[in-house]
Amino acid sequence: MKAKDLMIPLQEYLTPDHTLKEAANLLRIARRGEEKVGVKALPVLDTKGKLIGILSIGDVLKAVYPKYLNLMDLGRFTWDGMVEAIAKKMADRKVIDFMTQMVITVKEDAPIMECIDYMLKHNVGRFPVLNKENKVIGILYERDVFYFITDAMQNSVELQDDE
Amino acid sequence: MTNEPIASAQPFVMDTAFWTATAIFIIAYAIIISEKVHKTVVAIFAASLMIVLKILEQHEAFHVEELGVDWNVIFLLISMMVIINLMRPSGIFEYIAIKSAKWGKGEPFRIMAIFAVVTAVLSALLDNVTTVLLITPVTVLIADALEIDPIPYLISCALASNIGGTATLIGDPPNIMIASKAYLTFMDFIYHLTPIIIVIMVIYILTIKLMWGRKLRTKDTLKKRIMEMDERGAIKDPVMLKKSLFVLALVLTGFVLHGMLHLQPATIALFGAGLLLLLSKTHEPHHILAEVEWPTIFFFIGLFIIVGGVVKVGLIKWMSIQLLDLTQGNMFATSMVVMWFSAFASAIVDNIPYVATMNPLVIDMAKQLWPNLSGLQLLHHPDLMPLWWSLALGACLGGNGSAIGASANVIVIGLSEKAGNKISFMKFMAYGMPIMIITVAISTIYVWLRYYIVRI
Repeated sequence: MKAKDLMIPLQEYLTPDHTLKEAANLLRIARRGEEKVGVKALPVLDTKGKLIGILSIGDVLKAVYPKYLNLMDLGRFTWDGMVEAIAKKMADRKVIDFMTQMVITVKEDAPIMECIDYMLKHNVGRFPVLNKENKVIGILYERDVFYFITDAMQNSVELQDDE
Repeated sequence: MTNEPIASAQPFVMDTAFWTATAIFIIAYAIIISEKVHKTVVAIFAASLMIVLKILEQHEAFHVEELGVDWNVIFLLISMMVIINLMRPSGIFEYIAIKSAKWGKGEPFRIMAIFAVVTAVLSALLDNVTTVLLITPVTVLIADALEIDPIPYLISCALASNIGGTATLIGDPPNIMIASKAYLTFMDFIYHLTPIIIVIMVIYILTIKLMWGRKLRTKDTLKKRIMEMDERGAIKDPVMLKKSLFVLALVLTGFVLHGMLHLQPATIALFGAGLLLLLSKTHEPHHILAEVEWPTIFFFIGLFIIVGGVVKVGLIKWMSIQLLDLTQGNMFATSMVVMWFSAFASAIVDNIPYVATMNPLVIDMAKQLWPNLSGLQLLHHPDLMPLWWSLALGACLGGNGSAIGASANVIVIGLSEKAGNKISFMKFMAYGMPIMIITVAISTIYVWLRYYIVRI
């Protein structure tokens, strides 16, 4: 079993010039597999199809989060309407300003354990899968790795039953 | 102290060692100013060269007070950083800042003035960088709440921090270094510098009222956002808060009494750090110690050794002779040259390397003037004292002159970038330089009146 066997083939993606509003909307309606709607992140590709970043819902949260709050414990001293006001201000800014540029990727033939290794070490829930030409061919989601693990657990129970 | 300090025992000849040390010194300072390489890296490497090339013996660099690392400065800085790192999580600084904003009743200028005073007082008691790191995030939050430009608040915070830090021995690194080198006590600084800093702060508040007072307007509905904040929620750990305040009070009392107790400030601070570490019952001191600003500490260590090298070969002595030639031995003129030169130099160069160089220069100059004196008689000669205060006032207040003049400014500019509205070099200077000139001018009048007219 390799990364490409568990990934969801690339359907939607973002471009650096998408506005944050458009990108957030795509994140909401993007299809993950057959029936599940909404994804936690989409890759950002330039005009040549090269991967230049990834925009996650975490990046959208960061877009409305004033960085100075991070320096001290000031979260409780904020006011109603603060998030909405910043969200409105940020709506028309470009994806390129908010995407995560350091993207963890895996090759299509990476073993599943390597994928788990990256997910745990880098604390990411998904990453783009690249083919030999370094083109994004799909996204591997934590949840699909989880399903793969649970399937293996089911199978092991069945095996024990057989014995 | 020894009767014959090592520095003056060296023959003064412009030999290979002289030119080598001078070259290392000039090149290192030039690279530090250019910011092409991190200043700490430059300082450590240049310091190692001083020893490798046998300008200094390792023993001199590590263990001789006149030529090497001033451990009094190093341990005072480390200990104060540890105390503050232990205090921070209690929430005390958030509490003070929110309380101040509410005390300002949501009035934009009133809040700015109160923040300036709070910043100045905290900077006098803690180091400036820490104070600015603790106060500025709240000032930006408050400006956002009032929907006004945070930039004036940020600039004012940096300027007030540099002014307040000048008031005490522990307020600003130049003072720590001067105190250690000249054997001045905490109370000496309170007696000689605090009064004029209070006057300067009053004038500073009036000046920022003129600069920004009219531009800062907000709506009454927005003021409510501030008044609705509950500062009591900031206190995360009341037990640790009480322990921290107890230790801080003990340390400050220790500073006030250190002259009488015959304990160095570094000893007092180290005791405070040790005691608070013990009281915090931490089983993992690793992260508290890791948060000490080691790059700053090693910057100091490197500079002390670099300057030790040029002291030993006689460059500093040569410079002191030039300064005396310039002022023809007139002490008032020398004070004024030192103060104004220090102010402009500190606006351009980091004031830490500047004072590291000036300290031995002042001592060498004193040796030219009073060759028969040594020890405290020399360092505390009545005619020399105004020079130490001029150096402190010039070097500390000079930090306001430009965006790179003081670490507090650099921090504030970094923060303004995070707030999405970067303060440019010129914008900072447009406010900082006039404030520097006004405050140094007031200091000039003060030094002239107090030490050359009234003579107290």
